[in-house]
Amino acid sequence: MRILIAEDDPISSRVLGTTLIKWGHEVVITNNGLDALAELQKDDAPPLAILDWMMPGLEGPEVCRRVRSDATMAGTYLILLTALSQPEQMVAGLEAGADDYLTKPFNRSELRVRLQVGARTVDLQSKLVQRVEELEVAVAERHRAEEALRHLTLTDELTGLRNRRGFFSIAENVLQTTQRASQTSVLFYADLDGLKKINDTHGHSVGSLAIVKTAEVLLRTFRSSDIVARLGGDEFAIFAQKTSWTDMEHIAARLESSLRSVNEEESNPYSLSLSVGAVLIDRDNTLSLEKLISKADDAMYLQKRGKKAASERGIVELDFSRNYEFQETLAR
Amino acid sequence: MLSTNSTNPCTSQARAEVNEPIDHTVLASYEAVQVSGDPDLIVELINLYVDDVPLRVRAMRRSLKEKNLPGVTREAHSLRGSSGMVGANEVEKVCHEIEMLSEDALRNAPGLLNWLEVELERAIFVLYSVRTGRPE
Repeated sequence: MRILIAEDDPISSRVLGTTLIKWGHEVVITNNGLDALAELQKDDAPPLAILDWMMPGLEGPEVCRRVRSDATMAGTYLILLTALSQPEQMVAGLEAGADDYLTKPFNRSELRVRLQVGARTVDLQSKLVQRVEELEVAVAERHRAEEALRHLTLTDELTGLRNRRGFFSIAENVLQTTQRASQTSVLFYADLDGLKKINDTHGHSVGSLAIVKTAEVLLRTFRSSDIVARLGGDEFAIFAQKTSWTDMEHIAARLESSLRSVNEEESNPYSLSLSVGAVLIDRDNTLSLEKLISKADDAMYLQKRGKKAASERGIVELDFSRNYEFQETLAR
Repeated sequence: MLSTNSTNPCTSQARAEVNEPIDHTVLASYEAVQVSGDPDLIVELINLYVDDVPLRVRAMRRSLKEKNLPGVTREAHSLRGSSGMVGANEVEKVCHEIEMLSEDALRNAPGLLNWLEVELERAIFVLYSVRTGRPE
Protein backbone atom coordinates (compact mmCIF):
# COMPACT_ATOMS: atom_id res chain seq x y z
CA MET A 1 0.00 0.00 0.00
CA ARG A 2 1.14 3.57 -0.59
CA ILE A 3 1.31 5.51 2.66
CA LEU A 4 1.84 9.21 3.20
CA ILE A 5 3.94 10.24 6.17
CA ALA A 6 3.64 13.84 7.30
CA GLU A 7 6.03 14.38 10.17
CA ASP A 8 8.36 17.27 10.87
CA ASP A 9 10.49 15.41 13.37
CA PRO A 10 13.23 13.83 11.22
CA ILE A 11 13.83 10.93 13.60
CA SER A 12 10.22 9.94 13.88
CA SER A 13 9.81 10.35 10.14
CA ARG A 14 12.88 8.19 9.44
CA VAL A 15 11.81 5.43 11.80
CA LEU A 16 8.28 5.41 10.40
CA GLY A 17 9.50 5.45 6.81
CA THR A 18 12.03 2.67 7.32
CA THR A 19 9.54 0.58 9.26
CA LEU A 20 6.85 0.90 6.61
CA ILE A 21 9.28 0.13 3.78
CA LYS A 22 10.50 -2.90 5.68
CA TRP A 23 6.88 -4.05 5.87
CA GLY A 24 6.59 -3.78 2.12
CA HIS A 25 4.77 -0.46 1.85
CA GLU A 26 5.60 2.39 -0.45
CA VAL A 27 6.03 5.69 1.37
CA VAL A 28 5.60 9.32 0.42
CA ILE A 29 7.26 11.60 2.97
CA THR A 30 6.46 15.23 3.74
CA ASN A 31 7.48 17.35 6.70
CA ASN A 32 4.56 19.78 6.85
CA GLY A 33 0.79 19.92 6.63
CA LEU A 34 0.48 21.91 3.40
CA ASP A 35 2.62 19.47 1.42
CA ALA A 36 0.68 16.61 2.99
CA LEU A 37 -2.62 18.08 1.82
CA ALA A 38 -1.20 18.67 -1.66
CA GLU A 39 -0.09 15.01 -1.83
CA LEU A 40 -3.53 13.83 -0.75
CA GLN A 41 -5.20 15.98 -3.40
CA LYS A 42 -3.28 14.32 -6.22
CA ASP A 43 -4.99 11.84 -8.51
CA ASP A 44 -2.72 9.01 -7.43
CA ALA A 45 -2.79 10.06 -3.76
CA PRO A 46 -1.86 7.44 -1.16
CA PRO A 47 -5.04 5.94 0.33
CA LEU A 48 -3.63 6.07 3.86
CA ALA A 49 -1.85 8.88 5.67
CA ILE A 50 -0.03 9.11 8.98
CA LEU A 51 -0.14 12.73 10.09
CA ASP A 52 1.81 14.24 12.92
CA TRP A 53 -0.30 16.45 15.16
CA MET A 54 2.09 19.37 15.43
CA MET A 55 3.53 20.39 12.11
CA PRO A 56 4.48 23.63 10.43
CA GLY A 57 2.03 24.92 7.84
CA LEU A 58 -1.06 22.98 8.75
CA GLU A 59 -1.34 20.91 11.89
CA GLY A 60 -2.53 17.31 11.62
CA PRO A 61 -6.13 17.90 12.76
CA GLU A 62 -6.52 20.76 10.26
CA VAL A 63 -5.29 18.49 7.46
CA CYS A 64 -7.91 15.95 8.62
CA ARG A 65 -10.64 18.60 8.52
CA ARG A 66 -9.72 19.72 5.01
CA VAL A 67 -9.51 16.17 3.71
CA ARG A 68 -12.92 15.39 5.17
CA SER A 69 -14.53 18.48 3.66
CA ASP A 70 -13.46 17.46 0.17
CA ALA A 71 -15.52 14.68 -1.40
CA THR A 72 -12.69 13.65 -3.72
CA MET A 73 -10.57 12.65 -0.71
CA ALA A 74 -13.44 11.05 1.22
CA GLY A 75 -11.89 7.60 1.11
CA THR A 76 -8.51 8.55 2.55
CA TYR A 77 -7.71 6.77 5.81
CA LEU A 78 -6.10 9.14 8.31
CA ILE A 79 -4.03 8.24 11.33
CA LEU A 80 -2.98 11.06 13.64
CA LEU A 81 0.36 10.75 15.32
CA THR A 82 0.86 12.56 18.58
CA ALA A 83 3.00 12.71 21.64
CA LEU A 84 -0.04 14.07 23.43
CA SER A 85 -1.83 11.32 25.18
CA GLN A 86 -4.64 13.09 26.99
CA PRO A 87 -8.04 11.65 26.13
CA GLU A 88 -9.38 15.13 25.18
CA GLN A 89 -6.67 15.37 22.52
CA MET A 90 -7.61 12.02 21.11
CA VAL A 91 -11.28 13.05 21.00
CA ALA A 92 -10.39 16.33 19.29
CA GLY A 93 -8.32 14.46 16.72
CA LEU A 94 -11.06 12.00 15.90
CA GLU A 95 -13.58 14.83 15.76
CA ALA A 96 -11.37 16.59 13.24
CA GLY A 97 -11.87 13.60 10.99
CA ALA A 98 -9.02 11.21 11.81
CA ASP A 99 -9.87 7.51 11.58
CA ASP A 100 -7.35 6.48 14.20
CA TYR A 101 -4.46 7.79 16.24
CA LEU A 102 -1.09 6.65 17.47
CA THR A 103 0.91 8.02 20.36
CA LYS A 104 4.62 8.73 20.08
CA PRO A 105 6.97 7.05 20.58
CA PHE A 106 4.88 4.51 18.80
CA ASN A 107 4.99 0.88 19.53
CA ARG A 108 5.65 -1.00 16.32
CA SER A 109 3.32 -3.92 16.90
CA GLU A 110 0.59 -1.39 17.63
CA LEU A 111 1.47 0.48 14.45
CA ARG A 112 1.31 -2.77 12.52
CA VAL A 113 -2.19 -3.71 13.72
CA ARG A 114 -3.51 -0.19 13.25
CA LEU A 115 -2.20 -0.22 9.70
CA GLN A 116 -3.92 -3.55 9.16
CA VAL A 117 -7.19 -2.01 10.30
CA GLY A 118 -6.56 0.93 7.98
CA ALA A 119 -5.64 -1.31 5.06
CA ARG A 120 -8.82 -3.31 5.59
CA THR A 121 -10.91 -0.13 5.52
CA VAL A 122 -9.08 1.19 2.46
CA ASP A 123 -9.58 -2.15 0.74
CA LEU A 124 -13.31 -2.22 1.51
CA GLN A 125 -13.63 1.37 0.41
CA SER A 126 -11.92 0.75 -2.91
CA LYS A 127 -14.02 -2.39 -3.45
CA LEU A 128 -17.11 -0.31 -2.74
CA VAL A 129 -16.01 2.38 -5.16
CA GLN A 130 -15.25 -0.28 -7.75
CA ARG A 131 -18.66 -1.90 -7.19
CA VAL A 132 -20.42 1.45 -7.52
CA GLU A 133 -18.54 2.08 -10.76
CA GLU A 134 -19.52 -1.36 -12.04
CA LEU A 135 -23.13 -0.69 -11.16
CA GLU A 136 -23.04 2.69 -12.86
CA VAL A 137 -21.65 1.06 -15.98
CA ALA A 138 -24.34 -1.63 -15.80
CA VAL A 139 -27.09 0.95 -15.38
CA ALA A 140 -25.77 3.00 -18.30
CA GLU A 141 -25.52 -0.17 -20.36
CA ARG A 142 -29.10 -1.00 -19.56
CA HIS A 143 -30.26 2.50 -20.43
CA ARG A 144 -28.52 2.19 -23.74
CA ALA A 145 -30.12 -1.20 -24.38
CA GLU A 146 -33.55 0.16 -23.53
CA GLU A 147 -32.98 3.13 -25.76
CA ALA A 148 -31.93 0.86 -28.58
CA LEU A 149 -34.96 -1.30 -27.99
CA ARG A 150 -37.23 1.73 -27.99
CA HIS A 151 -35.62 2.74 -31.22
CA LEU A 152 -36.27 -0.68 -32.66
CA THR A 153 -39.90 -0.79 -31.64
CA LEU A 154 -42.52 0.19 -34.16
CA THR A 155 -45.22 1.28 -31.76
CA ASP A 156 -45.80 4.66 -30.16
CA GLU A 157 -45.94 4.11 -26.41
CA LEU A 158 -48.51 6.81 -25.66
CA THR A 159 -51.16 6.10 -28.29
CA GLY A 160 -50.50 2.53 -29.31
CA LEU A 161 -50.40 3.70 -32.94
CA ARG A 162 -47.42 3.03 -35.14
CA ASN A 163 -44.53 5.42 -34.56
CA ARG A 164 -42.53 7.10 -37.31
CA ARG A 165 -40.38 4.04 -37.74
CA GLY A 166 -43.45 1.82 -37.75
CA PHE A 167 -45.10 4.03 -40.34
CA PHE A 168 -42.13 4.02 -42.66
CA SER A 169 -41.51 0.30 -42.30
CA ILE A 170 -44.95 -0.51 -43.70
CA ALA A 171 -45.86 2.56 -45.77
CA GLU A 172 -42.77 2.20 -47.97
CA ASN A 173 -44.02 -1.20 -49.09
CA VAL A 174 -47.57 -0.01 -49.59
CA LEU A 175 -46.33 2.96 -51.60
CA GLN A 176 -44.56 0.63 -54.02
CA THR A 177 -47.68 -1.48 -54.36
CA THR A 178 -49.70 1.65 -55.11
CA GLN A 179 -47.30 2.64 -57.80
CA ARG A 180 -47.50 -0.78 -59.44
CA ALA A 181 -51.27 -1.14 -59.23
CA SER A 182 -53.62 1.25 -60.96
CA GLN A 183 -55.09 2.44 -57.71
CA THR A 184 -54.62 5.77 -56.03
CA SER A 185 -53.90 6.34 -52.36
CA VAL A 186 -53.98 9.41 -50.19
CA LEU A 187 -51.43 10.40 -47.61
CA PHE A 188 -52.85 12.56 -44.83
CA TYR A 189 -50.88 14.70 -42.44
CA ALA A 190 -52.83 15.70 -39.35
CA ASP A 191 -51.82 18.06 -36.57
CA LEU A 192 -53.62 18.61 -33.31
CA ASP A 193 -54.54 22.29 -32.97
CA GLY A 194 -53.38 24.22 -29.95
CA LEU A 195 -51.47 21.47 -28.11
CA LYS A 196 -49.07 24.03 -26.73
CA LYS A 197 -51.96 26.01 -25.31
CA ILE A 198 -53.49 22.87 -23.78
CA ASN A 199 -50.13 21.98 -22.22
CA ASP A 200 -49.60 25.49 -20.91
CA THR A 201 -53.12 25.89 -19.55
CA HIS A 202 -53.94 22.42 -18.24
CA GLY A 203 -50.57 20.75 -17.86
CA HIS A 204 -48.72 18.11 -19.83
CA SER A 205 -50.78 15.17 -18.63
CA VAL A 206 -53.92 16.74 -20.11
CA GLY A 207 -51.88 17.47 -23.23
CA SER A 208 -50.85 13.81 -23.43
CA LEU A 209 -54.48 12.80 -23.03
CA ALA A 210 -55.42 15.11 -25.93
CA ILE A 211 -52.88 13.24 -28.08
CA VAL A 212 -54.43 9.92 -27.04
CA LYS A 213 -57.91 11.28 -27.90
CA THR A 214 -56.65 12.43 -31.29
CA ALA A 215 -55.41 8.92 -31.97
CA GLU A 216 -58.89 7.60 -31.10
CA VAL A 217 -60.50 10.09 -33.46
CA LEU A 218 -58.22 9.03 -36.29
CA LEU A 219 -58.81 5.33 -35.66
CA ARG A 220 -62.58 5.93 -35.74
CA THR A 221 -62.29 7.94 -38.96
CA PHE A 222 -60.10 5.69 -41.02
CA ARG A 223 -60.48 2.05 -42.01
CA SER A 224 -58.55 -0.68 -40.31
CA SER A 225 -56.64 -1.24 -43.53
CA ASP A 226 -55.32 2.32 -43.43
CA ILE A 227 -51.96 2.97 -41.77
CA VAL A 228 -52.43 5.41 -38.92
CA ALA A 229 -49.28 6.60 -37.18
CA ARG A 230 -48.06 9.19 -34.76
CA LEU A 231 -44.91 10.67 -36.27
CA GLY A 232 -44.06 12.55 -33.11
CA GLY A 233 -45.41 15.29 -30.84
CA ASP A 234 -48.86 16.28 -32.11
CA GLU A 235 -48.25 15.11 -35.67
CA PHE A 236 -49.94 12.17 -37.29
CA ALA A 237 -49.76 10.53 -40.71
CA ILE A 238 -52.31 8.30 -42.36
CA PHE A 239 -51.74 6.28 -45.46
CA ALA A 240 -55.17 5.47 -46.90
CA GLN A 241 -55.01 2.86 -49.65
CA LYS A 242 -57.50 2.55 -52.46
CA THR A 243 -58.61 6.10 -51.80
CA SER A 244 -59.16 8.90 -54.29
CA TRP A 245 -60.27 12.50 -54.13
CA THR A 246 -63.86 11.37 -54.51
CA ASP A 247 -63.67 9.82 -51.06
CA MET A 248 -62.61 13.09 -49.46
CA GLU A 249 -66.01 14.38 -48.62
CA HIS A 250 -66.91 11.12 -46.97
CA ILE A 251 -63.67 11.06 -44.94
CA ALA A 252 -64.12 14.70 -43.94
CA ALA A 253 -67.61 13.95 -42.72
CA ARG A 254 -66.41 10.96 -40.71
CA LEU A 255 -63.59 12.97 -39.19
CA GLU A 256 -65.98 15.72 -38.23
CA SER A 257 -68.39 13.31 -36.63
CA SER A 258 -65.62 11.48 -34.75
CA LEU A 259 -64.33 14.76 -33.43
CA ARG A 260 -67.77 15.90 -32.43
CA SER A 261 -68.57 12.73 -30.56
CA VAL A 262 -65.25 12.78 -28.71
CA ASN A 263 -65.74 16.43 -27.83
CA GLU A 264 -69.29 15.77 -26.68
CA GLU A 265 -68.75 12.63 -24.66
CA GLU A 266 -65.74 13.91 -22.78
CA SER A 267 -65.91 16.59 -20.18
CA ASN A 268 -62.68 18.00 -21.57
CA PRO A 269 -61.64 21.47 -20.57
CA TYR A 270 -60.69 22.00 -24.22
CA SER A 271 -62.20 21.23 -27.60
CA LEU A 272 -60.23 18.89 -29.84
CA SER A 273 -59.62 20.17 -33.35
CA LEU A 274 -57.34 19.05 -36.15
CA SER A 275 -55.69 20.58 -39.15
CA VAL A 276 -55.28 18.11 -41.96
CA GLY A 277 -53.38 18.23 -45.22
CA ALA A 278 -53.44 15.55 -47.89
CA VAL A 279 -51.62 14.47 -51.01
CA LEU A 280 -52.87 12.14 -53.68
CA ILE A 281 -50.62 9.31 -54.75
CA ASP A 282 -51.31 7.87 -58.17
CA ARG A 283 -49.41 5.50 -60.43
CA ASP A 284 -47.41 8.39 -61.89
CA ASN A 285 -46.06 9.34 -58.52
CA THR A 286 -42.31 9.38 -58.33
CA LEU A 287 -41.94 11.07 -55.00
CA SER A 288 -40.44 9.33 -52.00
CA LEU A 289 -42.50 8.76 -48.89
CA GLU A 290 -40.42 11.40 -47.15
CA LYS A 291 -41.28 13.94 -49.85
CA LEU A 292 -44.96 13.00 -49.83
CA ILE A 293 -45.15 13.53 -46.08
CA SER A 294 -43.51 16.91 -46.51
CA LYS A 295 -46.08 17.91 -49.18
CA ALA A 296 -48.97 16.81 -46.99
CA ASP A 297 -47.41 18.73 -44.14
CA ASP A 298 -47.30 21.88 -46.31
CA ALA A 299 -50.98 21.42 -47.17
CA MET A 300 -51.80 21.00 -43.49
CA TYR A 301 -49.88 24.13 -42.67
CA LEU A 302 -51.82 26.15 -45.24
CA GLN A 303 -55.04 24.97 -43.66
CA LYS A 304 -53.85 25.78 -40.18
CA ARG A 305 -52.88 29.28 -41.24
CA GLY A 306 -56.20 29.74 -43.01
CA LYS A 307 -58.02 28.60 -39.90
CA LYS A 308 -56.12 31.03 -37.71
CA ALA A 309 -56.87 33.91 -40.09
CA ALA A 310 -60.52 32.87 -40.24
CA SER A 311 -60.89 32.72 -36.47
CA GLU A 312 -59.24 36.10 -36.20
CA ARG A 313 -61.88 37.43 -38.58
CA GLY A 314 -64.53 35.71 -36.47
CA ILE A 315 -65.75 33.30 -39.11
CA VAL A 316 -65.63 29.58 -39.49
CA GLU A 317 -64.75 28.24 -42.87
CA LEU A 318 -65.62 24.89 -44.24
CA ASP A 319 -63.57 24.31 -47.32
CA PHE A 320 -63.24 21.09 -49.17
CA SER A 321 -60.72 21.52 -51.85
CA ARG A 322 -60.35 19.00 -54.60
CA ASN A 323 -56.88 20.13 -55.11
CA TYR A 324 -53.72 18.76 -53.46
CA GLU A 325 -54.80 20.39 -50.31
CA PHE A 326 -57.46 18.64 -48.40
CA GLN A 327 -58.73 21.21 -46.05
CA GLU A 328 -61.12 20.65 -43.32
CA THR A 329 -62.12 23.06 -40.65
CA LEU A 330 -64.32 22.08 -37.86
CA ALA A 331 -66.80 24.01 -35.87
CA ARG A 332 -65.78 24.34 -32.28
CA MET B 1 30.74 8.20 42.63
CA LEU B 2 27.54 8.55 44.61
CA SER B 3 27.51 8.08 48.30
CA THR B 4 25.96 4.86 49.51
CA ASN B 5 25.19 6.42 52.82
CA SER B 6 21.50 5.70 53.15
CA THR B 7 21.21 7.75 56.30
CA ASN B 8 21.64 10.91 54.25
CA PRO B 9 18.17 11.68 52.86
CA CYS B 10 19.58 14.13 50.31
CA THR B 11 21.93 11.68 48.67
CA SER B 12 19.46 8.82 48.69
CA GLN B 13 16.98 11.06 46.87
CA ALA B 14 19.64 12.15 44.45
CA ARG B 15 20.55 8.55 43.83
CA ALA B 16 16.95 7.64 43.02
CA GLU B 17 16.84 10.34 40.37
CA VAL B 18 20.00 9.32 38.60
CA ASN B 19 18.66 6.84 36.08
CA GLU B 20 20.14 5.49 32.89
CA PRO B 21 19.83 8.30 30.33
CA ILE B 22 19.17 5.93 27.44
CA ASP B 23 16.82 2.97 27.30
CA HIS B 24 18.81 0.68 25.04
CA THR B 25 15.88 -1.54 24.23
CA VAL B 26 14.35 1.27 22.16
CA LEU B 27 17.43 1.58 19.95
CA ALA B 28 17.88 -2.18 19.78
CA SER B 29 14.34 -2.55 18.47
CA TYR B 30 15.39 -0.79 15.26
CA GLU B 31 17.50 -3.80 14.35
CA ALA B 32 14.21 -5.37 13.30
CA VAL B 33 13.57 -2.79 10.61
CA GLN B 34 17.13 -2.42 9.39
CA VAL B 35 17.11 -3.09 5.67
CA SER B 36 20.17 -5.10 4.84
CA GLY B 37 22.48 -3.19 2.55
CA ASP B 38 21.16 0.17 3.78
CA PRO B 39 23.25 2.46 6.02
CA ASP B 40 22.98 1.55 9.71
CA LEU B 41 19.61 2.89 10.83
CA ILE B 42 20.60 3.29 14.48
CA VAL B 43 23.64 5.40 13.57
CA GLU B 44 21.48 7.44 11.25
CA LEU B 45 18.86 8.08 13.95
CA ILE B 46 21.50 9.04 16.50
CA ASN B 47 22.98 11.52 14.00
CA LEU B 48 19.57 12.98 13.26
CA TYR B 49 18.91 13.36 16.97
CA VAL B 50 22.25 14.92 17.78
CA ASP B 51 21.84 17.37 14.90
CA ASP B 52 18.29 18.27 15.88
CA VAL B 53 18.80 18.82 19.61
CA PRO B 54 20.82 22.09 19.53
CA LEU B 55 18.21 23.66 17.23
CA ARG B 56 15.43 22.78 19.62
CA VAL B 57 17.24 24.03 22.69
CA ARG B 58 18.17 27.27 20.95
CA ALA B 59 14.58 27.82 19.84
CA MET B 60 13.37 27.11 23.36
CA ARG B 61 15.79 29.63 24.85
CA ARG B 62 14.75 32.25 22.31
CA SER B 63 11.05 31.70 23.06
CA LEU B 64 11.78 31.92 26.76
CA LYS B 65 13.58 35.19 26.29
CA GLU B 66 10.52 36.51 24.44
CA LYS B 67 8.26 35.19 27.24
CA ASN B 68 6.56 33.13 24.56
CA LEU B 69 5.23 30.20 26.57
CA PRO B 70 3.50 28.43 23.64
CA GLY B 71 6.79 28.59 21.77
CA VAL B 72 8.63 27.01 24.71
CA THR B 73 6.11 24.21 25.20
CA ARG B 74 5.92 23.54 21.49
CA GLU B 75 9.66 22.97 21.25
CA ALA B 76 9.61 20.88 24.42
CA HIS B 77 6.86 18.79 22.92
CA SER B 78 8.81 18.30 19.74
CA LEU B 79 12.00 17.38 21.60
CA ARG B 80 10.06 14.98 23.79
CA GLY B 81 8.86 13.20 20.65
CA SER B 82 12.30 12.70 19.14
CA SER B 83 13.86 11.83 22.51
CA GLY B 84 11.31 9.05 22.89
CA MET B 85 12.35 7.70 19.53
CA VAL B 86 15.98 7.22 20.66
CA GLY B 87 15.07 6.00 24.14
CA ALA B 88 16.26 9.19 25.89
CA ASN B 89 13.82 8.68 28.75
CA GLU B 90 15.25 11.27 31.11
CA VAL B 91 15.24 14.00 28.48
CA GLU B 92 11.65 13.02 27.77
CA LYS B 93 10.76 13.53 31.43
CA VAL B 94 12.22 17.03 31.60
CA CYS B 95 10.57 17.95 28.34
CA HIS B 96 7.29 16.82 29.79
CA GLU B 97 7.86 19.05 32.86
CA ILE B 98 8.53 22.01 30.55
CA GLU B 99 5.47 21.22 28.45
CA MET B 100 3.33 21.34 31.57
CA LEU B 101 4.56 24.83 32.54
CA SER B 102 1.88 27.42 33.13
CA GLU B 103 2.25 31.19 32.66
CA ASP B 104 2.61 31.42 36.44
CA ALA B 105 5.39 28.88 36.51
CA LEU B 106 7.28 30.39 33.61
CA ARG B 107 9.87 31.67 36.11
CA ASN B 108 10.81 28.02 36.69
CA ALA B 109 11.72 27.61 33.05
CA PRO B 110 15.39 28.68 33.16
CA GLY B 111 16.04 26.09 35.86
CA LEU B 112 14.22 23.43 33.89
CA LEU B 113 16.15 24.32 30.76
CA ASN B 114 19.42 23.93 32.62
CA TRP B 115 18.26 20.56 33.87
CA LEU B 116 17.28 19.68 30.28
CA GLU B 117 20.75 20.50 29.01
CA VAL B 118 22.32 18.32 31.68
CA GLU B 119 20.09 15.40 30.71
CA LEU B 120 20.76 16.02 27.03
CA GLU B 121 24.48 15.96 27.64
CA ARG B 122 24.20 12.64 29.46
CA ALA B 123 21.96 11.18 26.77
CA ILE B 124 24.18 12.32 23.91
CA PHE B 125 27.25 10.96 25.68
CA VAL B 126 25.67 7.51 25.79
CA LEU B 127 24.39 7.80 22.22
CA TYR B 128 27.89 8.64 21.00
CA SER B 129 29.23 5.55 22.68
CA VAL B 130 26.48 3.48 21.09
CA ARG B 131 27.37 4.98 17.72
CA THR B 132 31.04 4.17 18.18
CA GLY B 133 30.15 0.55 18.92
CA ARG B 134 28.07 0.13 15.75
CA PRO B 135 29.59 -1.84 12.86
CA GLU B 136 30.97 0.31 10.05
